[in-house]
Amino acid sequence: MNTPPPSRTLLWRLVLVVLAAVVLVIFSYGWTVTDIDLAVPQEAQRQENVGNALRELLSPNVFSQEYEVKTATTSFLINCPEGFTAPEASPATDQPYIVVEPGCGTANEPVTVRGFNFAANGLARVNWIALDGERRIRQVIGTGEDNFSINAEGSFSVQVEVPRIRGTTGETHTVEVQGRFPLGLPTLSATTGLVLEKMVETIFLALIATAVSILPSAILSFFAAQNLMRPVRTSLGGLLLTVALFPVGWWIGSTLLTQLGMLALNIGRGNFSGSAAATLFVFVGMVATTRKLGTSSTLETVSQPRALLNAVLIALGSVVLIGLVGGLGLLFGSLFTEGIPGYLSAFIGSLGGMVELVMPLIAGVIGAFTLSSIGTTLTRDVFKRLSATTSHLLGGVLGALAGAVVLGATAVIGMSAAWMGLLTPFVAGGLASVILPQLYQRFINPPQPGVMPNRPLLTLLNWIGTVIGFVATFLLLNVRQALVEGTLPDPVIGFAGMGISLPVYVLQAMLIGAVIGAVAGALAGTRGNFPIGTVLYSTTRTVLNALRSIEPLIMGLVFVIWVGIGPFAGVLALTLHSIASLGKLYSEQIESIDTGPIEALQSTGANRLQTIMYAVVPQIIPPYIAFTMYRWDINVRMSTIIGFVGGGGIGFLLQQQINLLRYRDAGVAVLAIAIVVSILDYASAAIRERYT
Amino acid sequence: MLIIENLTKIYDNGFKALDNISLEIPDGQFVSIIGLSGSGKSTLLRCINRLVEPTKGRIIWNGLDITAATDDELRQIRRRIGMIFQQFNLVKRSSVLTNVMAGRLGYINPIFSLFNYFPPGEKQRAMAALQRVGIPEKAMNRASALSGGQQQRVGIARTLMQDPEMLLADEPVASLDPATSHSVMKYLELLNNEDGLTVLCSLHFLSLARAYSDRVIALKDGKLEFDGLPKDIDNERFKMIYGEDAVEVEIH
Ligand SMILES: Nc1ncnc2c1ncn2[C@@H]1O[C@H](COP(=O)(O)OP(=O)(O)O)[C@@H](O)[C@H]1O
Ligand SMILES: [Mg+2]
Repeated sequence: MNTPPPSRTLLWRLVLVVLAAVVLVIFSYGWTVTDIDLAVPQEAQRQENVGNALRELLSPNVFSQEYEVKTATTSFLINCPEGFTAPEASPATDQPYIVVEPGCGTANEPVTVRGFNFAANGLARVNWIALDGERRIRQVIGTGEDNFSINAEGSFSVQVEVPRIRGTTGETHTVEVQGRFPLGLPTLSATTGLVLEKMVETIFLALIATAVSILPSAILSFFAAQNLMRPVRTSLGGLLLTVALFPVGWWIGSTLLTQLGMLALNIGRGNFSGSAAATLFVFVGMVATTRKLGTSSTLETVSQPRALLNAVLIALGSVVLIGLVGGLGLLFGSLFTEGIPGYLSAFIGSLGGMVELVMPLIAGVIGAFTLSSIGTTLTRDVFKRLSATTSHLLGGVLGALAGAVVLGATAVIGMSAAWMGLLTPFVAGGLASVILPQLYQRFINPPQPGVMPNRPLLTLLNWIGTVIGFVATFLLLNVRQALVEGTLPDPVIGFAGMGISLPVYVLQAMLIGAVIGAVAGALAGTRGNFPIGTVLYSTTRTVLNALRSIEPLIMGLVFVIWVGIGPFAGVLALTLHSIASLGKLYSEQIESIDTGPIEALQSTGANRLQTIMYAVVPQIIPPYIAFTMYRWDINVRMSTIIGFVGGGGIGFLLQQQINLLRYRDAGVAVLAIAIVVSILDYASAAIRERYT
Repeated sequence: MLIIENLTKIYDNGFKALDNISLEIPDGQFVSIIGLSGSGKSTLLRCINRLVEPTKGRIIWNGLDITAATDDELRQIRRRIGMIFQQFNLVKRSSVLTNVMAGRLGYINPIFSLFNYFPPGEKQRAMAALQRVGIPEKAMNRASALSGGQQQRVGIARTLMQDPEMLLADEPVASLDPATSHSVMKYLELLNNEDGLTVLCSLHFLSLARAYSDRVIALKDGKLEFDGLPKDIDNERFKMIYGEDAVEVEIH
């Protein structure tokens, strides 16, 4: 190692000093901003307040006790007359009795009160009852307390003062001792009962949110895994066609297929055995329709008409199958109302109801994908045989259609909220980004084999295109107004017909999309390769990250507006956040798997689904279990406070108790949270350890 | 017959890994591919089953143009081409039996695979394959519990499930010790002799190539440097392939 020259070390030291000074300034600024004032916690009043609150919090009102009260009285003469003798006590009885010595006296004189035959270990107090009948509690001399304890033999001896009551000379007063004795064992208090009930609600809130989020996040995690998505590319022609056909397929699906699905659903909810048989029949039919190849060594290709028929059959089959299953769910939901079958029935019934609700959506997606796949099957050979010129021409036409569809869709979203208007310029920028690099590579510097492409320049061109596309769209659609004023775009209808009406705003966006799409498509041509995987990957990641950055408490606020105060809002908020968070965690697990088996199974002729099932899934199950447990742990913590914003669970109760200053009751809730969270913490750690 | 015509591969970063390779390999031949690391052996083998997409040229196998095959056709072609890897590429957490059965997936309806179902008879087929590579008793073990040589035999059993006509082996013994290397090579030789499989095997060591192959192909910087009988590689040829400073080592 060579030592640096002295000038450099000097400079280095100077830099260090400046850095230290900067850090100090930042830190001091933070100190001021956060209102740190050491005098405040020392104020006597505040200390007393916090002391009281803490004392109550730490004496949680967990138990309650029943008591029986035993009283004994004796008489007392104010001002002793000459030759007074106290009446003899009658100790023959087994009833509690007390003796006051002396039996007479003047105000402020100490007297000794002794008691016998009380029950063991109780608390008692001395009451002075004058002729007015009012009970005056006498404090015990020495302790200054009202209460004193009765010893194990059931007796006591305390000293109290004769009270000073005016004009009572010569009167006979009554001295009374009330003893309070626990009756039976302590029981749980009403607060504890309420807390337990809310705790169960809390745990299930977390459980349901976690369980529901597993499937969506597992599916999303595949799209958010770079190693799986990077290699996925598709022919540009096929993709453009798919996008262009998508709305048509969606329209067909959500109008026609929905009818079929609803028909199946109604058959399903009608009759058990019939619809079960139909479900089985359709399922077997679908298995038969998917290709199963023999073992001959020549290629067995499915003829085009056959392939198309298969696609249609599978689409119809899936809609019918989903409808039938949904209908069966609804049917089951109406079977039982009581007990465990009742819960099951309500649960399955509401799943069926969900199918009924989203049927148009499902049918739309199925329709869109089927039409797209039919389109690509039909045109695959055509695309392959196209000459270069026609490929670019067709690319331009399809690009215009696809661009119009994409920007039209984003514009429709932009109509919903002012800032969503940013989506269209963003996507337009993304589409426009490919134009300049394409121009450069086509006309200025075509890529040559064996020569590294000029990456920095291409990236720069990419960015320039993005910025131009963004700015142009931003200005043309007047997004500025939406951003600054918060106004939505004008809903003036510019086109109506075929059951669709499009606002002028959407039409403008579609026009911009068509222009950008046409240029990009024409430059790239239908033969180009599109990195669809990368696009899906970055979109999924962005959405997951954005969702994850919104705390469940904030989501809870919105869901409370939607579905009202209660655990349902909490479930929705935690589910949404868990999907985002688990999706990211899961996808990171996929990214760290061994990709060797994927390659190996691909080389055996397994398709993508099979490769995932046999090469990816076995590798990710253990970490998925571990992370799910971890998430459940987090969700229990979250669900204890989601009630603060109205999301149900124990937090709701805790907030009420704190607002009512009932700290002993709040203490019970805090204790319950502490116990449950630490048990779960331990359990989840144990399970995680086992699986990682 | 496998015919490779003017095969060129240029990776995305512009690196030319294969440069105009043409070869004809008759059925049933045991071909070794040798060359320094980075010379393009893996790329060549992977182009044949299109794990790597060729940039230019054609690959024709039994009259089928692999390079022009659609996704569907490609999967059907891949079913008949087994491949084994230097790192074995087994799913380590799965059982040996599951790993072997996975070799059959190309023949199985994907809907079945969604439910992890194999038609009856496939398990017996897998056990028979394990029997052939001599480790039927390991069927229920986790793949990770096996030694390197045993794992590579599981890899071979997996390709047997494919009913292959050709076997691509990418440095199958490079992670194994010499004695185990020979035992694995013996299984490849067996498949070549008994089942008449065409075997294309890339190897690090010329001595292994000499011991097992009918024909040796040498690559250097992505170009075909030598194509002939093992015995024709004399010291001069050896230095051309491996460079001036190389010395031939024997693997026993
Ligand atoms: N995915 C890739 N991207 C870029 N270059 C690659 C890639 N894979 C391999 N190469 C390069 O191609 C050359 C040949 O690699 P390979 O076929 O693996 O050689 P071998 O198997 O003979 O060691 C190497 O120089 C390697 O760096
Ligand atoms: Mg290699």
